[in-house]
Amino acid sequence: MSSPDDSQVFERIVRPHLDRLYRLAWRLAGSKAEAEDLFQDLLIKAFGKLDELAGIEEPGAWLGRVMYHLFIDERRRYTRRRLHLVDEGQLPGDGLNALPGTDDPAAGAELAAKLSRLDAALRQLSDEQRIVVLLHDTEGYKLTEIEGLTGVPVGTVKSRLHRARARLRQILEDDGTFSRAETCRDTGRTMP
Amino acid sequence: MTETHRNERELRTLLKEYPMPQAEAGFYDQALARAAREGSRRQRNRWLFTGFGGAVAAGLAAWVVFGLLLGTPQPADVDTAIPGVTISLETPEKVNLVFASATALDVAMLTITLPDGVELDGFPGQREVTWETSLKAGRNLLPLTLVATSGTGGELFAHLEHDTRSRTFRLRVDIGKDIG
Repeated sequence: MSSPDDSQVFERIVRPHLDRLYRLAWRLAGSKAEAEDLFQDLLIKAFGKLDELAGIEEPGAWLGRVMYHLFIDERRRYTRRRLHLVDEGQLPGDGLNALPGTDDPAAGAELAAKLSRLDAALRQLSDEQRIVVLLHDTEGYKLTEIEGLTGVPVGTVKSRLHRARARLRQILEDDGTFSRAETCRDTGRTMP
Repeated sequence: MTETHRNERELRTLLKEYPMPQAEAGFYDQALARAAREGSRRQRNRWLFTGFGGAVAAGLAAWVVFGLLLGTPQPADVDTAIPGVTISLETPEKVNLVFASATALDVAMLTITLPDGVELDGFPGQREVTWETSLKAGRNLLPLTLVATSGTGGELFAHLEHDTRSRTFRLRVDIGKDIG
């Protein structure tokens, strides 16, 4: 059994990072059941390394890296489960209904519809692209933070981000969410 | 502004709005408590697995030795080659699995899958138990206490994964009709 002291030390170290880790788990796994499994697996693994964890200067970054590698190492397991768990309440879109509403119901409905299509478009990306675009554009991670988390060089992160955005734009243009861009080829330039 | 740039801007706005539900109340507390419980159990199992300890009732336990050479081709399974033990209904019986490993293996995952009607003592109702462990070079002992609750037995699988390699060992578990 762990001592009460171990549990307290563990909680003191990890609790300040739980919100960020929970969000990361969601962005990695893409649905509630798998995100919560991943989150739980991380905590169990981290507890087993309490001695190491207690000596780390930036436990939040360390925990994020461990979670990312846990996800990558066991992606098949999480993906396999995702295929079987189709409970509507556990899909990412279930957050749409919980969105803070606007004063304009029509605008709110339009935003919800667009987000729903964005959700579908994100599912068409590779895990690598989906994770990078969600961490950077949704969660606000810096490129260097993504490099630190994933171990992927910044240059590769940038190119994945660029390709992910271009692919999302294309999908959302094709399904009519966005107006069709000019017929000339996209130059690949992105906004600053 | 071109249409491409307009779409890019709208995409970034949408991505910023992309929602995520908050954790349910109490989820963090439950997850922390489970981590402490499971984490310490795994540490305990790791210790049991890598050490022989003094708790082995050698005279009563069945010993099953598996040769372990991860990465080498496995011969086709032949039923007659599967080792077996016979246990009695409702009587906890210790079976010592010995994994002989040529090299030390850190952070291996071991999964025990039980046949119908057989449980691991301390894990009621669980057909499958997985935990992280490490193997030292040489013989590694895993003492399992099996309890037959019903049926006639079947095969127990011990699946060991390390890096990209894995091996599955089989043990036939028969449940004897007579007790005592």
